[in-house]
Amino acid sequence: MTYRTQLFHYHEKASHLTDFAGFQMPLWYESIVSECLAVRNGVGVFDISHMGRIFVTGPDAEKFLNYLTTNNVEALKPNHAQYTLVCNWEGGIKDDLVIMKLDGHEYLVICNAGNRQKDLSWLQTNSEGYNVNLREVSDEVAMISIQGPKAAHTVQRLLEDDLSNMVRFDCKYVEIAGSKCVLSRTGYTGEDGFEVCVLDASISNPANALKIWNMILKAGEEFGLKPCGLGARDVLRLEAGMCLYGNDITESTDPLEARLEFVVKFEKGGFIGKDAILKRKEAGIKRRRVGLRMVGRGIPREKNRILKNGEVIGTVTSGTYSPILNVGIAMGYVTAEYSDVGEKVDIEIHGKSIEAEVVSFPFYDTKLYGLKRLQ
Amino acid sequence: MKAEEYDIPEGLYYTRDHEWLRLDGENCVIGVTDYAQKTLHEVVFVDLPERGRKISKAESLGTVESVKAVSDYFAPVSGEIIEVNDILSSKPDLINKSPYGEGWIAIIKPSDLEAELKDLMNSRGYSQYLKSLIEK
Repeated sequence: MTYRTQLFHYHEKASHLTDFAGFQMPLWYESIVSECLAVRNGVGVFDISHMGRIFVTGPDAEKFLNYLTTNNVEALKPNHAQYTLVCNWEGGIKDDLVIMKLDGHEYLVICNAGNRQKDLSWLQTNSEGYNVNLREVSDEVAMISIQGPKAAHTVQRLLEDDLSNMVRFDCKYVEIAGSKCVLSRTGYTGEDGFEVCVLDASISNPANALKIWNMILKAGEEFGLKPCGLGARDVLRLEAGMCLYGNDITESTDPLEARLEFVVKFEKGGFIGKDAILKRKEAGIKRRRVGLRMVGRGIPREKNRILKNGEVIGTVTSGTYSPILNVGIAMGYVTAEYSDVGEKVDIEIHGKSIEAEVVSFPFYDTKLYGLKRLQ
Repeated sequence: MKAEEYDIPEGLYYTRDHEWLRLDGENCVIGVTDYAQKTLHEVVFVDLPERGRKISKAESLGTVESVKAVSDYFAPVSGEIIEVNDILSSKPDLINKSPYGEGWIAIIKPSDLEAELKDLMNSRGYSQYLKSLIEK
């Protein structure tokens, strides 16, 4: 079965399509490199309607989500969102999510496209005894991401509300062109940016989504806005050091080795996976997720082996060419003793061992790129 | 000559893996075809063979890569690599801009040219081959 998003009719005409998690999605419109550069230097817009959206409501919504996820949902204030993980009982990562708190008893959960069904059944299975209501709205709600240093300028043109009041990870209901939307200052590129959920835009009647998509294209014109495909999305998130579920984190990686402990709040009380993760922590972390930047010539790719003195010490989980750095970059797991920044390793690419160096995330200079760049 | 939107210059020899070969005196200049570069789209990296390397026909000589895709290219004939286009290291997009010209990859001194040329297609043959691929 192939799925299409609310904006498929635009992509079909304007982009080179690819299959991703069963969805026919744009890989690129003009070219991956030019789309990456548009986001780093100006603004780009992405259809991310393939991601899953679930409303969790009811008196126990907070308690329920707090038990299902690793971050502290109790600490979340209304109109704010958090990055978090769902773990299995063994401490493996089932998915990474963004949870938005819209008011006291209403949360919007954003999950990965490939995990829509899995997450929904996991939430349903574990909801017994909680007074919560789960409403999966992925096919009724479209989602558009606007990213880059000019994202705020672009989005401001669609809204009455002053966006300068919204800080990173804030979220709220807004109206755009007569459609009710949830707007959040979030993204997956390392840049400042916004994500818009268009609430009344179903697969069978996507007019509101197409209207807002076209408005964004127009609003960003003077900043060189480009529609961007999944090719650019993958490069941008990797340059920022962000994980791709299914590659860099899976049910057989835990939050500690993935270096995502900053969203695991052991002190908050019980949650699924807590005991297993603590046990793993006591046993010691054997491997770690690292950033790798090529020293020699070559582009590292998923499944390439990572070597130290000829011995295999790990595997690349994501690799690509970085247009802003003009070099091959990768993410992967290596034995803990070789995971420090500055460590020289080799990556086996097409049978050749090519030198690479362990570096910190993000890959780019934060004074020049990303949301903390100097203006 | 053209097949769909792909350029196929006459006078060159072609492989089923989308390499081209041009006779240059006793040597052979090789590269990848317009179809190959358009399929890969934006080339960001070319892995070049070493000068002096002895090669057999159909052996992988290296890769041409875009951000998302990796494509091996193969020796159209046996022989020795006597020259490579080093400019591709810093300007891999020459493969897109000029696949049959400035985007050439290497020069081979062939060891069994007469026999091996018979296995290659001319522009007409390659054009028909491409059409059959596209129809699939």
